[in-house]
Amino acid sequence: MTECSFFFDASRCSGCMACVVACQDQNDFVTGDTVAFRHVSQHEEGVYPEARITSRSFSCQHCADGPCLLACPMQAISRRPEDGTVLVNRDICVGCRSCELACPVGAPKFPEDGKMAKCDLCYVRRDHGMKPACVRTCPTGALDYGSIEEMSEKMREKASIRMLKGSTRSSEEVD
Amino acid sequence: MQKNRAVILGNGGAAISAARAARIAGHRGEIHLVSDTAESAFNPMLSPYYFRGKVPWEGCFPFGEDFYRNHEITCHFGVPVANLEATRQQVTLTDGQLFSYDSCLIATGAAPVIPPVPGLRESSRALPLRSAGSARKLEEAMQTARRVLILGASLVGIEMAEVLVKRGIAVVLVDIVDQILLRGTHPSVASILMKYIESQGVDIRLGCSMQEMEETKDGVACHFAGDVIEEVDFVVCSTGVRSNIDFVNRDEVKVDLGVLTDDRMRTNVENLYAAGDASQAFNRVTGQHDWMGTWGNACYQGRTAGQGLAGRKAFFAGSLPENISPLFEWNYAQLGDIQPKTGEVRHLACGDPERGGYNLLAFSDGFLTGANLINCTHLAGKLSGAILRKWRCESMVGRADGDFTEAAVEEILNECTAS
Repeated sequence: MTECSFFFDASRCSGCMACVVACQDQNDFVTGDTVAFRHVSQHEEGVYPEARITSRSFSCQHCADGPCLLACPMQAISRRPEDGTVLVNRDICVGCRSCELACPVGAPKFPEDGKMAKCDLCYVRRDHGMKPACVRTCPTGALDYGSIEEMSEKMREKASIRMLKGSTRSSEEVD
Repeated sequence: MQKNRAVILGNGGAAISAARAARIAGHRGEIHLVSDTAESAFNPMLSPYYFRGKVPWEGCFPFGEDFYRNHEITCHFGVPVANLEATRQQVTLTDGQLFSYDSCLIATGAAPVIPPVPGLRESSRALPLRSAGSARKLEEAMQTARRVLILGASLVGIEMAEVLVKRGIAVVLVDIVDQILLRGTHPSVASILMKYIESQGVDIRLGCSMQEMEETKDGVACHFAGDVIEEVDFVVCSTGVRSNIDFVNRDEVKVDLGVLTDDRMRTNVENLYAAGDASQAFNRVTGQHDWMGTWGNACYQGRTAGQGLAGRKAFFAGSLPENISPLFEWNYAQLGDIQPKTGEVRHLACGDPERGGYNLLAFSDGFLTGANLINCTHLAGKLSGAILRKWRCESMVGRADGDFTEAAVEEILNECTAS
């Protein structure tokens, strides 16, 4: 099994919400509906003149050891054998919200029927060779998707660049 | 790879999770599972959903009968444990069977506590809700009932009130204390919930202690102070549970409310583990031995113990006392300690249950300790995480109470869930 995951680069996210709209569109939600599998939050840091706002785009993290899987009393949440995607069987969900209590990122959503619904990492799109809707739409490349190995490599690369930039800056400052 | 004999006492979420984890972790030896019931594992938290018609009866047994065969488990069903000799590593069942083990897990769950009210314990019309058997009895009793008294305004009591009201049965919900949901709910939040539950047709009476119950021709008469008598068809007892560990020798095994374990679910006796409602595990979060009676915790603890049965090292990371449940058309979650006893204690509240939700946060010296959430339970996981990682609200320290407008509280809530 090749486990897959999202990758998110906060330094590239502009908070444009295109990923949220793409997710709503992909899942046939009504625009403006409170239910969306992806959400963007904004964070203020520091004080003027050093103040800045960053945006973060979140959805289900498809955790390797998802707390929702253990918490579900109906065994309605499982991992897809092919790629580890965490999926919910809505036919047997009773809407007890145990998953909502267990999830640290607030991924489970409860539409009108009271049953849990969540990001499925667009597995149908992926099975047809396409990227998840949010990744395809992101105009700044802040979101990506792939195997955990690929995404980890990407993260390591990014961290290395940041370290190099950091050391360059400090040497410039010293000069 | 372990090839020895493991014995699991119990047949609930902890027991099943342990058996599965042991097999996944490579235990190739015998696994014996002992249960006082003759059915596959039952999940008691699903009973109210069964009563509401949201899950079929067989759905209350989420692991199914094949689980035991698929995991090569030898079942001893319908035979309670008579005696556990922990240091000699052997178990005796009530039918006289005796077998030794290399490792053992106590996962016998908990049983309802019926208060010592004269006439109550002996009555066949005093019905608790826990096992599959008790759920069947309640279902049967509800078929002809017109008026029911619920003893104990706990979450289970309120869930049962909802079931009964929605079936057109009159409900009197009684508790000896002066608020509903005493454990984990702030009095101001309990008051909001109580008004809502009353508006749904439940007659709630607090500060009432039942003094006697007597059987009548076709029901029971419940006697309260001031010569108040309530005649009902039956009484639902939702007055709490206690660990099912009567077979444990307290001279050998350390026991408080449940069997005491460390964070690997090991007891003080070698090769003996405990998990779920039968245990009081060491909680890394509070630094104490806590009884953490939720289905998720039971499964997590069982999985940890199962890995131990297979000779692997695993840890239970700790948890909070917490609960979440739909109550009629509302949703409610209670997390952590809502009334901390130490430090500078502050409670901040904002919102409206009918417009986006109402939340109340509890802080001690700026640290978030607990939360009550009405209709904004989407915050539950994030807030639970913030309590677990000991999140401190820096912007709160040094501010006077008057500074906390609703907007300021919302700002703090955003800060917390974004941290």
